[in-house]
Amino acid sequence: MHNKDKKRSQRRITRLLGQWLLLCVCIALLCTWLFVYCLQNWLSDRETQTLLSINISDVTADISDASDENLLALTHTVADLLEAGETDLDAIAEEYSIAEINVVNRNGVITASTYESFLGYQMADGEQSGEFCVLLGDAEEYVQSYQPISYDESISRKYAGVSLSDGGFMQVGYDAEEFQKDIDTQVIGATRNRHVGQSGYLLISDESGVIVSDRNGGEGQNLSVTGITLDTDDLQAGEKFRTEVYGESCFCMYDETEGYYIISVLPASEALASRNTAVVTTVAVELIVFACEFLLICFLMWQLVVKNIYKINDSLSEITAGHLDVKVDVCTNREFTALSQDINATVDTLKRYIAETAARMDQELAYAKEIQYASLPGIFPPYTDCVQFDLFASMHTAREVGGDFYDFYFAGEDRLAFLVADVSGKGIPAAMFMMRAKTLIKGLAESGMEVNEVFTRANTRLCENNEANMFVTAWLGVLHLKTGLVEYVNAGHNPPLVDCAEPQPAGSGGADFRDGKDPGFYYLKSRPGFVLAGMEGIRYRKNVLQLAPGDTLFLCTDGVTEATDGQMQLYGEERLRAVVNGSRMTPEELCAAVKADVDTFVGGAPQFDDITMLALTYKGDGAEVHGTPEGAAGAL
Amino acid sequence: MNINQTVSGSSLTMRLSGRLDTVTAPQLEETLKNSLAGVSLLTLDFANLAYISSAGLRVLLFAQKTMNKQGSMIIRNVNETIMEVFEITGFRDILTIE
Repeated sequence: MHNKDKKRSQRRITRLLGQWLLLCVCIALLCTWLFVYCLQNWLSDRETQTLLSINISDVTADISDASDENLLALTHTVADLLEAGETDLDAIAEEYSIAEINVVNRNGVITASTYESFLGYQMADGEQSGEFCVLLGDAEEYVQSYQPISYDESISRKYAGVSLSDGGFMQVGYDAEEFQKDIDTQVIGATRNRHVGQSGYLLISDESGVIVSDRNGGEGQNLSVTGITLDTDDLQAGEKFRTEVYGESCFCMYDETEGYYIISVLPASEALASRNTAVVTTVAVELIVFACEFLLICFLMWQLVVKNIYKINDSLSEITAGHLDVKVDVCTNREFTALSQDINATVDTLKRYIAETAARMDQELAYAKEIQYASLPGIFPPYTDCVQFDLFASMHTAREVGGDFYDFYFAGEDRLAFLVADVSGKGIPAAMFMMRAKTLIKGLAESGMEVNEVFTRANTRLCENNEANMFVTAWLGVLHLKTGLVEYVNAGHNPPLVDCAEPQPAGSGGADFRDGKDPGFYYLKSRPGFVLAGMEGIRYRKNVLQLAPGDTLFLCTDGVTEATDGQMQLYGEERLRAVVNGSRMTPEELCAAVKADVDTFVGGAPQFDDITMLALTYKGDGAEVHGTPEGAAGAL
Repeated sequence: MNINQTVSGSSLTMRLSGRLDTVTAPQLEETLKNSLAGVSLLTLDFANLAYISSAGLRVLLFAQKTMNKQGSMIIRNVNETIMEVFEITGFRDILTIE
């Protein structure tokens, strides 16, 4: 039971392996998912950044192109006027809504301007203004982006200049407000139809935060209606940020050009869609791949290891069950082949030892059998000079040695003692107890005491130190050769068969059990005493039986009556009686006939118990041999 | 052979069925050795017992001797075949058969 519990508490190797494998696979899956998520996130981030900035730079380029073209055209118009001799710069400026007109001589000094304070300013002195000095060289025209001017950094303007025929050049400055009016249409055109990705768009506002272009129709309103707050101090141009635009979470980026804020907007749902798709796809694919791997490993483990272990276990179970010829034959790989060979070698060694031990046991049992049989009188006829009786006995043990025995000897002059006994159990313990009982009874009987006294004393002696609770059933008789009187005592033994050779007239023999019966064998049923060695203090009774010359007494053990055939049927007392009644036989023929009939009855079934028989024919006293009914009748 | 045990206080009843022979006797002996402690009345019910061999008698003798020291033993419902064995072997005199 303990072993069974232990077995149950131990988990199967497949289950254990499966659990650990599952844990490893799960960890590996989580790691790869995390990695894929981070990678895809980074890729998506970069892509969004690129998408937003490309759109911004495109629009920025478009706007500055439009603005540059516009301003250059205006500047050329003004230059043509000046070349034509017009000198009233203020009038020109007012007419064309120009913020500033400067005329610069070939030395780079402002000689005429709509701002008197600018007169005499050396263009090369300022960084912004200095750029225009290229016009003093080969360049014909130059446009600057909208930026703070060198003269006063608080003012931002966009300048364009063209060279004049006198070697100097003229410069026109434009306020954002003015040039934006000119290009707003183009700006709107450049942005309204532009898509950032699939669903993203561009928003353009001017410096004051009024929306110039918005696909959602927010033109003219403040940028705050979209939800975007541009804090240009905190937020660098070209930096991606995330905010709610018209209630939708979006990634945004802004840039500043020509007095406009250009904001590209990409809904987060779109920006993250590819990342999410990639992550979900990867997760699904990996799940399938890892599940397949898991199943494959489990399958391989089962095929290569566990199945073989079970195979070996099955073979071992068979070997344990006693089939030592079973070979373990698992040769799928080198390790199992080696294991199989080792087990086979071990079993072979074991077999050899068992065979050796069995051979030794067999040898010892053979000796024991010899000794046991030698202890029984085995020469028939036993007493060639005694003509008063004919006696034959035999013993067939179920195993090598047995617990049955027969014996006969003279217990005093003309007193033939004979007995049959059966020790409970079989094999060596019964054989040893049998030897003890046999010797003891013989010793007591030969001293000449009464048969009942023999058993009473033998019982007392046999009860001493009988820890194994063995007992003996025995039937002891003493035949007075002169008279044919048998004194007998029965210790729990099955009754003998007695043959009445002659029909007895009723009442002729007094209380004889054969009174009025036909000739033939009858069971001599007398009240038996208790078995020997069973219980202390038992006193046995003596019975007597008068034999007439020619009468036969047949004694046997229950190995005869309880012989069992294949259908568990018992041989029985009646069948035995029928066999001995078959025809008149000598004691030797009687024993042989019974043994032969028992063998026929039992058939192929193994002999279960020892079979012992003793037959005694009384022939009467004197020289006459009364071996036949006629002879017996003559003696009477 | 089957052994069906019922314990009621210090009395133990064993119902035997099948054959009590060399093969099955050790089983009964083992069962008796394990359960006789503290029993003052042992009842053996032989209603379903078909056969008894000398090995079985040996176990009965052991049980009787054990119960002689600590109480009593009764055998019930003995069939004809077994009763004959008890008579032949003299066991009838030392057993209490009801």
